[in-house]
Amino acid sequence: MGTGNFCWPFNPPESSFWMIVIIVAKVAVVIAVAMLHVAYCTWFERKIIGRMQVRIGPNRTGWQGLLQPIADGVKLFFKEDIIPLAGTGSTRFRFVFKVAPLLMLFATLSSLAVIPVFEAFYIANINVALLYLLGLSAIATYGIIFAGWASDSKYAFLGSLRSAAQLISYEVAMGLSLIGVMILSGSFNFIEIVKAQQHQWYGMYVVPQFLGYFVFMVSAFAETNRTPFDLPEAESELVAGYFVEYSGMRFALFYLGEYVAMIVMSCIAVLCFFGGWELPPIVYKVIPGLQDIPSWAKNMLEAVVFFCKVYLHLFLYYWIRATLPRYRYDQLMGLGWKVLIPLAIVNIVITSVVKFFS
Amino acid sequence: MTLRDFVHRFLLIEILQGLQLTLKMFFTKPVTVQYPEQRRHVFDGFRGRHAFVRDAVTGKEKCIGCMKCANICPSQCISIGKEKIENKLVVTKYDIEALRCIYCGYCVEVCPVCALVLTEDYEYSATQKEEIYFTKEKLLSNWDEFASRLPSDTYFNKFWRPDGVDSSKWTKAKREQGPVPTRPVAKETKPLEQTESAVKETT
Repeated sequence: MGTGNFCWPFNPPESSFWMIVIIVAKVAVVIAVAMLHVAYCTWFERKIIGRMQVRIGPNRTGWQGLLQPIADGVKLFFKEDIIPLAGTGSTRFRFVFKVAPLLMLFATLSSLAVIPVFEAFYIANINVALLYLLGLSAIATYGIIFAGWASDSKYAFLGSLRSAAQLISYEVAMGLSLIGVMILSGSFNFIEIVKAQQHQWYGMYVVPQFLGYFVFMVSAFAETNRTPFDLPEAESELVAGYFVEYSGMRFALFYLGEYVAMIVMSCIAVLCFFGGWELPPIVYKVIPGLQDIPSWAKNMLEAVVFFCKVYLHLFLYYWIRATLPRYRYDQLMGLGWKVLIPLAIVNIVITSVVKFFS
Repeated sequence: MTLRDFVHRFLLIEILQGLQLTLKMFFTKPVTVQYPEQRRHVFDGFRGRHAFVRDAVTGKEKCIGCMKCANICPSQCISIGKEKIENKLVVTKYDIEALRCIYCGYCVEVCPVCALVLTEDYEYSATQKEEIYFTKEKLLSNWDEFASRLPSDTYFNKFWRPDGVDSSKWTKAKREQGPVPTRPVAKETKPLEQTESAVKETT
């Protein structure tokens, strides 16, 4: 466990019972906020893509369509949960079919545990946070593979196979792209990574690590199955990919998992490359009064800065989705192995050399 | 691959150009027409719901039962019934099965007396097939609906005088067809020329 007032914003008596109560409360808060974000991510996405296609986007349910995610959620919740019987009528298959979306959602939601929203707010401050996140994003793949396998449908199965291949390829590039950050900060811990970024006046690793950031973002698009790497759910080829056979709430769980993964990836990008919740130190120099504000205001400012950075990354996701068509499968693999991994390795070498001589 | 191509691909120039375009579109005004509240202007030559022009003088349809429309119709959705009553040819039945119609407008173009028209109405969806099966009476009421909504007192459909066709082969009525009145004309104030033609037809 790291330092800092772990139980922010409370100051409870030092007992493990209260610690657990507060952790559970924090988990509830984080999941609630994440779910709200997921719901309004869909609205945000539809609005942004609509505007980029010179449309309006949803605007009928509530003011500016703000109730649209709620309407969608209620609809999905009350829909029939269809479980395919053909060929795989045995309970074993059905169990895997039922478990797959939960596995994916749990893996992505657990990633939120190590993400510090501001310096004093996190659920777990572990020293291998980055490795933990990479591991969980690999576990989420199992959800996709199980779903495709238990669906007993060629489209779902092809989608899950594509997903497996894609994730294995891009996980390598993603892991390698983060090594530059680890070399510079000397830590896997997010709080220390963010603090290490404050040594420069710009306060962001994206400046020295622009190659790493590029590789990370491209891999993040591939890891979360977003366009232009949405081959596992290529609508025009595979109907919907691995969740073809899912309906109702189980389908919604996949959807939730995908969007939570997107938010988590944006959070990692913000924490590792954009200085997390901190403003660049130059801002504090320009506005000297900013450092003397009370601690609650500072926390709020940090949270706002963090969320703004995350929203910018989400906007980037939607912007790319509105712009680029889907890659062909061999191009996808070629990009992963022949471009991104060499780039990431070049980045590691340059970073190590610079770090060694400075 | 030339050096220029390589630099273009390496710096993702084309992708950046694409991103620039979508960002530019993001800040333009949406072209969406929010249909039930806003309506698009109907363009000249729009072919919508069928109607029979109600003659302002007689208050009936102008159809003479020449069968030209039924013959030219590509989807053969017009069926006409004629009877000889008191030594006069009377069109007793004129049905358009609009669900089969392809809205080519040939029937309007070919009509020698400009009796038929494809109006600018487009909101006539129905839950029953029978409601889109237009009989003679339905066609006349379609015209009444359409005419009552027109702001002007006269209406002329451009397909009554199709472009690029030798007009010397048309009937006199078609050649001289002007805008038709959209409001019922009282008997006292009926236009002189129409009265004359009506008299000629009756004699």
